[in-house]
Parts: sequence; C-alpha cells; structure tokens
Amino acid sequence: MKAYINGQEIAFEPEQTILEVARKNDIYIPTLCELHDIDHAPGTCRVCLVELRQHSGDDAQYVTACDTPLREGWQVLTRTAEVQEMRRLQLEMTMADHHQSCSTCSRTGNCELLAAANSVGLQHVRFHYSEGWENEDPIIEGQPIVYDRSRCIRCQRCVAVCRSVQNIDALELSGWGNTAGVRLKGGSVDASPCVSCGQCLMVCPTGALSEHDQTQEVLDYLADPEITTVFQMAPAIRVGFGEEFGLPPGFNVEGQIIAALRKIGADIILDTNFAADVVIMEEGTELLGQLKQDKRPTFTSCCPGWITFAEKHYPEILPYLSSTRSPQQVLGVIAKTYLAEKRGIDPARMRVISIMPCTAKKGEAARSELGRDGRPDVDIVLTIREFARLLRREGIDIKTLQPSAFDDPYMSEYSGAGAIFGTTGGVMEAALRTMYFVVNGKELEHVEITQLRGFENVRTATVNLGGEYGEIKVAMCHGLKGTREIVEGVLAGTSDFDFIEVMACPGGCVDGGGTLRSKKAYLPFALKRRETLYGIDRGTKARQSHNNTQVQRLYADFLEAPHSEKAHHLLHTHYTERKSTLWSGLESVQGKAESTKD
Amino acid sequence: MTYPAFGVWEGKVYDYRKHAPAEALPVLSGLDDFEPGNTTRAFIADRGFLVFDPEASLIEAFSQYMNQAARESCGRCTPCRVGTQRIRDLLDEFGHGRGKGREQTLKNVEEIARQVTLTSLCGMGQSCAKALLQALRHFPEEFKPRPPEQRADQHSYTYTTAPCIEVCPSKVDVPKYIDGVKGGKFDHALGVVLDKYSMVATCGRVCVRFCEAACRRNGAEGSAVGIRMLKRYAADQIMTMEKPLTFERAAVSHSERIAIIGAGPAGITCAYKLLLAGYQVDIYEAQRAAGGMASIGIPSYRLPKDVLKFESEDLVRHLGGQFFYGKLLGQDFSVDDLFAQGYASVFLGYGASQGTLLGVKNEDPGLQGYTSGVDFLLKVHKHVEYGEPYEIKGDVVVVGGGNVAMDCVRSAKRMGAKSVHLIYRRTLEDMPADHEEVVASEHEDIIFHCLTNPSALLVKDGLVTGVELVQMRQTERDARGRRSVEAIPGSESVMNCDLIIAAIGQQVDKSVLKPEEGIVLDRWNCITVDPDTLQTSRAGVFAGGDCVLGPLTLVNALDHGERAAASIVEYLQSGTITVRPAARMQKLLAKNKLLSDECLEVPPLRRERAEVPEQDARLRISNFEEVEGGLSKAEAYEEARRCLRCYRLYSIVTRQPLTAPAAGHNLQPILAE
Repeated sequence: MKAYINGQEIAFEPEQTILEVARKNDIYIPTLCELHDIDHAPGTCRVCLVELRQHSGDDAQYVTACDTPLREGWQVLTRTAEVQEMRRLQLEMTMADHHQSCSTCSRTGNCELLAAANSVGLQHVRFHYSEGWENEDPIIEGQPIVYDRSRCIRCQRCVAVCRSVQNIDALELSGWGNTAGVRLKGGSVDASPCVSCGQCLMVCPTGALSEHDQTQEVLDYLADPEITTVFQMAPAIRVGFGEEFGLPPGFNVEGQIIAALRKIGADIILDTNFAADVVIMEEGTELLGQLKQDKRPTFTSCCPGWITFAEKHYPEILPYLSSTRSPQQVLGVIAKTYLAEKRGIDPARMRVISIMPCTAKKGEAARSELGRDGRPDVDIVLTIREFARLLRREGIDIKTLQPSAFDDPYMSEYSGAGAIFGTTGGVMEAALRTMYFVVNGKELEHVEITQLRGFENVRTATVNLGGEYGEIKVAMCHGLKGTREIVEGVLAGTSDFDFIEVMACPGGCVDGGGTLRSKKAYLPFALKRRETLYGIDRGTKARQSHNNTQVQRLYADFLEAPHSEKAHHLLHTHYTERKSTLWSGLESVQGKAESTKD
Repeated sequence: MTYPAFGVWEGKVYDYRKHAPAEALPVLSGLDDFEPGNTTRAFIADRGFLVFDPEASLIEAFSQYMNQAARESCGRCTPCRVGTQRIRDLLDEFGHGRGKGREQTLKNVEEIARQVTLTSLCGMGQSCAKALLQALRHFPEEFKPRPPEQRADQHSYTYTTAPCIEVCPSKVDVPKYIDGVKGGKFDHALGVVLDKYSMVATCGRVCVRFCEAACRRNGAEGSAVGIRMLKRYAADQIMTMEKPLTFERAAVSHSERIAIIGAGPAGITCAYKLLLAGYQVDIYEAQRAAGGMASIGIPSYRLPKDVLKFESEDLVRHLGGQFFYGKLLGQDFSVDDLFAQGYASVFLGYGASQGTLLGVKNEDPGLQGYTSGVDFLLKVHKHVEYGEPYEIKGDVVVVGGGNVAMDCVRSAKRMGAKSVHLIYRRTLEDMPADHEEVVASEHEDIIFHCLTNPSALLVKDGLVTGVELVQMRQTERDARGRRSVEAIPGSESVMNCDLIIAAIGQQVDKSVLKPEEGIVLDRWNCITVDPDTLQTSRAGVFAGGDCVLGPLTLVNALDHGERAAASIVEYLQSGTITVRPAARMQKLLAKNKLLSDECLEVPPLRRERAEVPEQDARLRISNFEEVEGGLSKAEAYEEARRCLRCYRLYSIVTRQPLTAPAAGHNLQPILAE
C-alpha cells in the first residue's frame, strides 16, 4: 500500500498507524503519552496531530498519528503551520492543569512533558486550572511509591505496564474530569495486588510517580556526629549510574561511587556483593538439603518484589521459597552484629543505608521480621535516583572523581559470583558454581555457565551437578508475567524444576524499578549493563562465593558454618500470606470455558 | 413557532429573524410542544442548534450546555478535559460582561471549540462544541452579555446519551460501564447497571442487544463492541469475589406495602427498586421459583439457574422482599383482595406465557404428542431443575423461528430426541431468533426446514403421529419492499414425528384479570397503561412487561419494572406522577432519529471483537451446562478499549424549568462516584 507523508511516497502495511509509518521512515512527529516499547498508544494527550487529506482536493482533517491507521493514497502533512499551532494549543492545555512547580518535582531535568512542550515550541500558557488537585496531597505514608495527581498527564502508561508487562493489575483509573487519574485498587499497597516493583514509575513521563524520597534523612544522618553511617551498594548500582553523569551506558563506576561516598562523609562503605556471596553459601546449602529430601522446587528469595508477589498472589507457593534473606538484609544484619563487634561500634548508633536499583527494597527493609530489638537491620533504602540527588546536593559529579576502592577488611570483598547477582540468571549461576564445589570437592571446569545466559523472560536449562545429584533442572524468570506462568505450572504439577530463580523486574536488577529513568524508552540499557557485570565477574580473583576470603573469615570467626544455628537465626526468614480480599487474583478472573467438561 | 427564528441544523443555516419562511416547515418535530404549557426557547445538539425565541440568550444557553460538557468530560484526553472547562469559563465571563473584550473572547472560544471538536479522543469531546462553532461562525452578533435581571426566565435541561444507550429500553449507560471495565473497576461497571436493574448477569447472557446493533463500530470497521459480554464479565467478577455486594438502602423506611404479581424480570426489577427505596414488598408468583420467562423460557444451557436465582430471588430476599409461590392471580386471589389486605399499590407483571395455536387441521391442545413451546420448556425446566419425570424419544418437530423455537429445538436435542426438525415458514435470513442461536442450533445437528409450513396434524387414537407440511415460496416485493410468503399448491408432504411443538409465539392469559377488577385490557388481552407512567385504568395499579407489551424482550420488561417502581414511589408520596424530562427528551430523540445513521469521518484503528469460548457442540448436546463461557480479564480489557464513547449532549431551553419529581420522590441511585 502507498500513501504520502510530506509529499514523499511511502509504502506501508495495512493497519499500520500514521505514527508507525512515519517513524519507520524517520519522519518526526512529536508525541507524549505514547510509549512504543510497551506497545502503548492510549491516544489521550492528542499531541501527535497531523494534517490529512484522504483524497487530493479534500478539505484538511486533523487526526492523531498514534491511533489513526494510514490508508491507501492518503496525503499526510506533519509540519503545516496549522498543525504546529494546534500542537502548541494541545500542550498549552496540558500545562494548564498541570502542577508546574518544576522546582519541587522529582522529574526535574528529564521530564518528558517539558521535552514535549519544547518540541512543539510552546510559548505561553494563558490559563490555569488547579481545582482538580489543589486540595489533594500525594500519598506517602508507608508507601515506597508516591503518586502525585497534580503532575499526572493521564497517559495510563503505568496502568498498561502493570497490566500487560507485569500482569499484576494493581492500578485502576480513578476520578472524573479534572480529578481523573490513577490509584491503587483498594486505595493502598496492602489492600491492592501491588508488589512495589516500580515499573509504573519507570514508564511515567513526568514526576507523577516517584519513589518516597529519603535523601534528606540520609543527609541528616551524615550530619549527625553520634551516628556511624554504613553504606552498601547493590551489584547493579555500579553499572547503572554513570549515564546520570554523562558516562556511557553500562560503564562501571564502582570506584567513583566509593570515592563519592567518602566525599560525602560515609563512615563505612560495604558492598552488597559481599552479602550476595554469603547468600550463596546459605541458599546453596539449603538447596542441596532440599534436593536430598527430594523436596522440589526451591525458589530464590533475594527479590522483594517476588517475595511480595508470592505472599499476595500465590501463598500456596511460600513453602517452596528459600528461607535465606536477601543480600541487602544479610548485609544489614551482619553489619549490626559481626561488624559492630569487630569494629567496636554500638549497633544502636549504626545506620545502614542501602543504595538499591529497587523500590521494593524500601518495603523489604521496613518488614518487622527483618530487624532486631525494634530496630531495622537496614535503616534507609535509597534508589539509584535518590542517590544521584544526594550527590547533586553535595555538588558531586562522579565523572570528575578519581576512582577509589573498598577498604573495609570484613565486608567488602566479593567474588565474581556475587557480582553477577544483578542480572537475570546471575543468582542461579552463582549458586551452581558453589554447589558444584560442595558436591564434587572441585571447581566447575567452565565457570561461566552459558546455557543460563539467555535473555528470554522465562528460560530453562539442565545442569549436571555431579555426585549423587546428577542432572538438575533449573528455570529463571525475569518479569512477573513469566513468573506467574512458572508458578502456576509448579502449582498445577505441570512444571518440573529443582531450582527456580525469580527477579520481579523485566531485565533483572540492572533494570529495576529504582534505576535511572529513561525518556520515551523502557529498559533500553539492560544488555549493556549485563555485559559489564559479566566483565566484572571475569576480572575477579575469586569467581566463586566460597572462595571469598572475607566470607570464609565471617564463617570462621562468627557464623561457624552455613546453616549453623547462628546463621539460621540471623540470615534466614519466614513468609506470611498477605492475600487481600478486596481484589481477586487473575486466576479466579479467567472464567474461560469453565463450562467445558470432558 | 414551528420554524426557528434562526439556527444551524445539519449544516443548513436558518435565518428567519427578519422574514418568515415561505413554507413554515419544522426542522425537527416535537420541539414546540416539548412540555405542554412551557415555551421552548432553543434546542442545542451535536448536529446544530435552533433558536425559537429571538429574545432567548444564546450565550446563556451555550454556557449551560458547555457547563454540562465540562461536567461530563471523563478527563482522560486533554482537549476535552481542559478545553470544555476553558470554553465554559470564557462564555461565563462573557455572559457576565467580564473578560478581555468581545472580539478577543469570542476568538478564544472559537479557537478552543475547534480544538476540542477536531482533536478529542471520543464522541463526547468531538461533538460537544460543534453547535457552538456553528453559532459563532454564522450568528456571532447573537452572542451578547446578559444582564442579571434577564436570567430568571431561561432554563436549560441537558441530557447526555449515546446511540447504544438511547436504543436500550432500560437506557443503561453503556459507555460508562465499559469505562468501568476499562479502568479496572468492575464494581463500578456493575453499579452502573445495578442502578437500573438487578438482573445484570442474566441480561449479560441473554439480552437481545439493541445496543450492539446501534454500535458505531458496526459497518466499515468491523463489528460492534461486545457490550453484552462486558456486562456479563463485570457481573461475573463481582459475584465470584469474596467481597459481598452491599447496597445503600434508603435512609427512611416507609410503612406502605406493595404487592407485585409475577416474579418475572419486570416484577423482580420493580421489587428491587422499591425495596431499595425503603418500601415493603410482597411478590406473588404462580410458579415455584422467581425468574418468570427467564427461568422457564430460557434453558439453563443459556442461563444457569443459579445465576438467575442469585440476582432475582436471593437478592430480593436479601433486601427484605417476601415471596409467595404457587399463588395465581385470578384463581387464588384478586386485585380487590390485595387492596383489602392493605396493600397501598399493586404492580402487575404476570407476563404472557400462554402458547399460541398453529391454526392447522386436527390441532387440539389436549392431544398426546402436541405441546406449545412454553409448556414444553416448562416441562424441561421442571425435569432439569426438580427431577420431575419427562422423557423425549423419537423424532421431534418444532414450528417457529424465534428464540423460543431455538430454545425448544436445542432443549429437545439435550433431552435425547432422535432427530429434531425445525419448521419455519420464511427463509433462514428472516428468522427473528438471534443469529448466534441459529448458528449454535445448526452446530447441534438441528435439521432446518425453511419455507415450510404445517397444514395439518396426523392423529391416530388421540396421539400425534406426524405433520403434513406444505412448501412455501417468497412473493414479489410489495410497495414497501417487503417480501411475503405463500403456499405452493400441491406441495404437501408428510413428516412423521412423535412430538410436535408449536413455538410460534405466546399470548397473555385472559383469565387472570376479571372485568370486575376495573382494569382495561386491549383486544389482545394486554393491559392498557399510560406509556409514560405505566399506570393502569385503576388507581394505584401499575403494570409492565409482557402482560402489557405482549411477548417482548427481557430488557423491555426490566425497563418497565424500573419505571413502574419510580411511578409507584411518586404516586405514594405525592399522589401524582410526573413525566420526567429525560422521558420527554428520549421521545424527541426517537421521533427525529437523532442518534441513528451516524458514521465515522475517519475510520478508527481496527480492533478485533473478542470471541467468547463455547462448550464443544458434540459434548453440549448431551447436557444442560452453560454453552458460552466468559471473557478472560485480558480479553475484557481489550474489548472495553474498543468502545468509541459516542456520547452526545442535548439541551432544551425553556421559559420555565421542566417539571420533575420533587427531591426525595426519586429512586435512589446505586452508585455515587
């Protein structure tokens, strides 16, 4: 089929929209609500206007390119004066009821709405409407994710990603007219199916969705001479932070982050990678124990989005979850016990601050079962975005910093296995390296288990563990849509696995809900960040968790052995059903062909 | 004032401000006597506007109209959400003599009105500023600030509707409940329908779907939105949820008792609405269960009995209604008895459930092997539901082409008939039954004989042994383009059968109401009512459903039940019943066909209609389990996205406010957003 865009003859397929055809031919049409990466074109912003004549000589029509299919012989013009004026008016109206207090917005600096306003040449906003939100405060209390309707442009990307990418469906369209927006079903995180994965704010074009900002709390601790601040950074942080300061995607800035933390006055700088190695010692041992008892499968437990998902959506699966705490929590508890002892610090004055690529980690740190004596093991969780904000408040540009290195003798060394925790398949690979050693008394010959390294949302593999175990079947999923399939398969008895790794965010932690936001793109850097993690693995002296000398020392001096009573007490946890009666799970909603009987 | 002083309608400009037209033809009919005794000053719609009274304030009329548009805007797309507010405010400023001066303000209004019209996402925004644009273009001089003292004698009533709503007898706000599904608020979706009637899951399974026929997705761009499947989806979700349905009951409870005769769709709906309004309701039913024709006439493979029971008997009981089963009006009690017992009002909804005779030789309802469609379905119902013995063997012939005939053939098949034949005098295309029913019957190996008509029954010893059939042919088209059928002489043949079922229609049982009850019937024994208020000729007695309309549809009965309840409430509280402004507007819209024949200027993105899963035909013919399944959640979301929200606003401007029931004399809405 053929049509004309700006006079240029263009071939296209039936039912392709004008926007799709234009993009394919590198013709720019400004857009706002649309997000191609998640196949979302709700047609609510009405910015992508073009001028259309269905036949030559017809009167001009004005249509939105995102939801109008191109037809044979149509003549489309993308930059007439009329169209430009109409796009400007559209943005003027969008701005009119938008809370234009950019100075207090979490999205200042990379806002898609401002970019759209600039792209249409908005000159003035002649009228303002604030009735829809002026008496409305954003809801923060106890929620890792904050929704501010005054900055919402009603694009519904958050609803789409929650429904179709994660298959959680925690959000509903709320309000009417000038109060239109979104809200959690049931009104709160607890009442809704929400698992705080944060994918909604990864696609939000403005600051309507953001994490509960705890930057100031960290600054207050840093300023308090009575407090010892202990920082930890997750495996994925070092490969997903450089872009914020103009470095190429995936660039490893571990050294620069350490230098920056020193500069802002961090007392102790630890690495979550170290704790990941400890997790492998515990989880690997646990899994071998389960295999011996023929209890299968075992699910990993390092991802708090996944834990909440299991507790809320499939409580029947909870007995199959590893009881090992996540690396963040393992680090927190060891710091406040072992490290406090070694360094002679009063744990009551210690504050563990995590830098995580994750919004769900905020909720995890606040769990009452993950603390002792009424104090949390991890005090504050900053997403990588808050960490960037923290550095900017201290005037730090990591690009100009001389890289530094960890210096804590107890809890900062890591193996290659700990380093790859941040990517899908990484936990599995790390565990297998150590389990192979435990079973066979020797190291795996090919330490990089390539059959685990695909990127599909659900992957399966068979690995020879040797000894009495032989071949074991493993599965890895990233993203909760695939996870749901795996869990349903396990519950239905149709999937047969020994060990299953789950990461709630598509792409794994390197693209978690707490990573840097992209404009008009969803998870563009997953593979680059992952490559760097594999590179870090290759560069480590020890490639296996059990060869981490600081881990060896931790067990020798403090924990005795994996799964010792002490280890069990400090490094393991339990899970609770958290199903709400306010919403029905997808499983009961699929009334398909229920009347069919064999 | 049949013709307007000025205006624009469907692109045509009328200007009789200085000269009367040569031919005083009305542009629309029914406007001048919209409400007798009240002067119509103007009318505003999507297709244009007409001003009848040159003294009327145009700015005020449009200000009111756009005020309503701003209130109705759902707020998802920018031009409609912000633009309607902006136009409202600019018009208001201008009307009050404020703002930036005439030229500038009107220019700004036009700029935004054009943007709202050309770029809004749905029918609401696309249509709400069209008339305003026409007025600004052709009659800008008529926009004049309005001094406060002139504001007392002009009143606007604005009505919001859409093609799917207007064609529905119950006037269910279809786009709104689809919005509920789209937004993930299934309880809201259900609430929109519950505002009208309780039998949502029932209607979501068996409604004849006038709405889908009126859907603007029909035609060039694929098929109608699956409105009925979405209604079923919303209802099924909420019913399977652990959270119980809660209803807001009226704050006051009234002492008056109301008797409802017939627990069919009309009676159940009337009871449901009256109970919510705080009245005491007793229901008298001849059968042993609630549901009426929905229970007896619709087999459980189309409508499972528990679904029906949940939202008829169970719900009415839950709300405090009492059932008296096995009580037949005209036999066990009379209307006089009811008033003597102290009922303040009576609703008659006893239906039309008597079979119609075929009118052929040897026909006698007492014959063995002969039955009417409804009697057959009743026997099947009692067999399936209560295990009463009923056996079907051999060959069955069903005569008719409506949904009851389809229910008969499919039930006969499930009861174990060796072969089932359908005899219909016209062609397959002429069958009034739902197309889906015809297709499903074909899949179930029903043998269709179209253009065939019975002429005599073959009877031996009081037992039907067969039927004589005659072939029919279509006649030439008559002046109105309709083709009739006529018998082909000499084409008679005999079909042997063990059971013949006459399913050519039902009629009202004339023995129910005795003449001394003082309730006027028409020549078909249907109860004569005031079409607006559903009052019968006897004070305090209201009627609705099939006993008024003759055998019609479920949704017509639901509408009657709801409207009768509203009338009863007003009757009990004030003694008089008002014709509601909405009813007047609905009549006007229907009379002028204002919501039909609309086409889309730019075809929308094609989205395929969802397909409902079905039980396999080979398996289902041996059971009475439900044939159609429901949508999955993902499918429901997709289907809801297909709605184009073809909302339209219609505003009538009158000298006095339209009469409406006094506050408190209205039924309580279920859902407050």
